[in-house]
Amino acid sequence: MSAATTTPSLLSKLPPRLLNFFARYPPQVYSSAVTPRPEVPESAQPAVEAAEELPSPYTPDRDAKGHQRPDPKAFSSSRALLQHADPKRPNPFLPVKNFRTGKWLSPRFGLRQQADLVKLAIRYNVEELLPLGPKSTEYKETRRSERGLAVKGTGIGQKVKGHKWERTMEARLEDRRKAMVEMPEMIRAWKQRGHGRGWKKWPKR
Amino acid sequence: MAKKAKSRTISVRLISMAMTGYFRTMIRPRVHRPLSMLKYDPVVKKKVLFLEATKGGKAR
Repeated sequence: MSAATTTPSLLSKLPPRLLNFFARYPPQVYSSAVTPRPEVPESAQPAVEAAEELPSPYTPDRDAKGHQRPDPKAFSSSRALLQHADPKRPNPFLPVKNFRTGKWLSPRFGLRQQADLVKLAIRYNVEELLPLGPKSTEYKETRRSERGLAVKGTGIGQKVKGHKWERTMEARLEDRRKAMVEMPEMIRAWKQRGHGRGWKKWPKR
Repeated sequence: MAKKAKSRTISVRLISMAMTGYFRTMIRPRVHRPLSMLKYDPVVKKKVLFLEATKGGKAR
């Protein structure tokens, strides 16, 4: 945490944009390194055994596709990360709710500016001096571990259905290969029987 | 009322025996025997046997 304060050489290396940010939001108060982490309640342990019961995407029942919307009220450690630690010093990367009027105040820095700052900080290896926000690596990793790679078909017990031509490709190529192996013999028999005069096995349309 | 006269020629489909699904359409006299010939199949890039596909698989 105190990397910037202890090493003046690093301070001189940082770009002015980061320096301005740190001057306005000193890392001793705002950085993710000093932000307390939320405690995971006992009831919020992830249900691992639920993955076994997922039906395959081939099930004819539309409701049994294995896709269940997460409970919006359940505890989420990624969401808990983005809470204001100190109401008097609101995190500039998060929106603030005014409880008297019930209105939301946008974050000091929009998502695009946050992303720029985080990328810049990562390049200078000082990301932990920035406040936690939806663009920070820690939040993204927590969220990824919570939700998985939200790509259909990559979960446990799931398959990618694919197009029909993809599913039948192997069998068709095998048919073709067999037919080409038998082709010289077929042509020989065809020539022998008067170029089709005595041919009996005509294909069906 | 008399039925409409059948045409003298019919169009037939010659199917590649390489099982590629490639076919050629030809016109032959109705009373002719089924067509069969060696032709080029662009899918397997070879000359293969093409046989006339019959309706219902019946041939004279």
